[in-house]
Amino acid sequence: MQKSNVLECVGLGIDFGGLTAVNDFNIEIGTTDIYGLIGPNGAGKTTVFNLLTKVYKPTRGSVFVNGVDTKNLNTVKANKLGLARTFQNIRLFQNMTVQENVMVGLHNEIGYNLASAIFRLPSYWRAEKKAKERVCDLLSIFGMQDMIEHKAGSLPYGSQRRLEIVRALATSPKILLLDEPAAGMNPAETDELMKNIQLINEKFKIAVLLIEHDMKLVMGICEKLAVLNYGMLIAKGTPAEIQSNPAVIEAYLGA
Amino acid sequence: MQKKFVIPVPVRYAINTVLIAFFLIAANSMIQGGGLGRAQTAIIIQIGYFIILAVSLNIITGYLGQLPLGHAGFMAVGAYAAAIFWRYHFLPDTANIIAGLIIAGVVAGLFGLLIGIPALRFKGDYLAIITLGFGEIIRVLIVNLDWLTNGARGLQMPRSVRYSSFLVVYICVILTCIFIHVIMKSRHGRAILSIRDNEIAAESCGVNTVYYKVAAFVISAFLAGIAGALYAGNFAVLIPSEFDFMMSINILMIVVLGGLGSMFGSVVAAAVLTYLPFLLVPLAEYRMIIFSLMLILMMIFKPSGLMGSYDFSLSRILEKIINFVISKKGGKNDAKV
Repeated sequence: MQKSNVLECVGLGIDFGGLTAVNDFNIEIGTTDIYGLIGPNGAGKTTVFNLLTKVYKPTRGSVFVNGVDTKNLNTVKANKLGLARTFQNIRLFQNMTVQENVMVGLHNEIGYNLASAIFRLPSYWRAEKKAKERVCDLLSIFGMQDMIEHKAGSLPYGSQRRLEIVRALATSPKILLLDEPAAGMNPAETDELMKNIQLINEKFKIAVLLIEHDMKLVMGICEKLAVLNYGMLIAKGTPAEIQSNPAVIEAYLGA
Repeated sequence: MQKKFVIPVPVRYAINTVLIAFFLIAANSMIQGGGLGRAQTAIIIQIGYFIILAVSLNIITGYLGQLPLGHAGFMAVGAYAAAIFWRYHFLPDTANIIAGLIIAGVVAGLFGLLIGIPALRFKGDYLAIITLGFGEIIRVLIVNLDWLTNGARGLQMPRSVRYSSFLVVYICVILTCIFIHVIMKSRHGRAILSIRDNEIAAESCGVNTVYYKVAAFVISAFLAGIAGALYAGNFAVLIPSEFDFMMSINILMIVVLGGLGSMFGSVVAAAVLTYLPFLLVPLAEYRMIIFSLMLILMMIFKPSGLMGSYDFSLSRILEKIINFVISKKGGKNDAKV
């Protein structure tokens, strides 16, 4: 196994009862790759994300994050290893403010114990102050630093998606899993998101794996693509290779 | 836009201290001076432990977003733990009271751990049923452990000492509210809130949801245990049938009426709901009808509770006033220019 891969899946698969949702999924993602995962609806893309983040337990195969086998880990520990994700159907903490949302992402980084919270020890004040500064830094990527007092649930749709990305980034991941980040965005917003994803990739030096239906976005920023159909990987390669791959064309157009 | 005026933290603490001391001195002097009679003092003490019960239940219902129906169980555990400890009386009075309260809290907290771990696997209706069963088990156990609790005849409390004096109850209420406040305004509190809003997202942010759910249960049970001890100290005889399902429902009613997730709401609702029955005494048999009608109307016209999710902060109100004054002045200056 190569050291430079931040994420590696070997023969990953899961069955729900008799139904095989994902089978023999192999992928290697380098430390600063932007990798796209595409496929028709119901192909199993989100299931792959749930397998990677341990929301589902894989039936077969294994996932390595930075060379560490995640076999016996749960979602929390997978996150500590460096896997952070966003969700297809937005899962923000609706009743909390933007600032609090991102601070939940910083939960493990803040790290003071219960006693220092109860007695308001200096470590509490220091960590809270630092965390608030970090929140502003992170939000400024998307120009959202003026929104910290807003309730997350009251934000417009596009901002909610961006906030989810910021919250995921707050956990200092090695690889960011984005599940349809551009869903519901207009073309101008999608363009901006594209630039932001590239910025995040360069600034934080982290890998990005993204599921997306917007082909302009996918072809524009992904260095490599994997195509999933009926739970099977049908193609892997550069955007140009994928576009001319007959199996992919068949999966999409049903020719 | 002008920079907003913010009251610095030490000043906020000073304001809160003054407020707490003011209420303490005002109420205490009224009780000692005879401004408040025995009956009124008893009501205030009752309001006190209902406040603790409500704010502690609010941790689970309001902050963690679960629905337990066995809060009277934790209260009963605390009440009996303290009462049995106080019967043996091997410490000087003040130390005895404090030790009894702590023991009540710790024992109830252990029961919270006991019920919190299996309860983790369940949500919503299922958790309600499980905790309901737990509450009943506790009550039946107390009735049947005759050698320890004197069963259904009730446990006689020592007469010589006044355990739940106004001062003790007041201090407990204040400490409870501060305790919950400092926890909720920390990373631990945010973790609990995040579980309420979205458990899967909380986990994917690295929040150990198992730990925080159990912790919320234990803290809630610990405080309910202390309230139980105060309850025990307020009566001459401790009867197990008091800690039945209706008691749990009453506490839940206070929390819902005050507004889920609002500590200030719980405090206000505890006061209102405890005092109202006494206020309605002249209406005799009709009082329960009026009481129930008020609850129904309240839920129809303000389902989010008295306070919604609002929490009281004198400092924040002062800040708003000061900012308002500043902006007025600023406005005038602009006009001159």
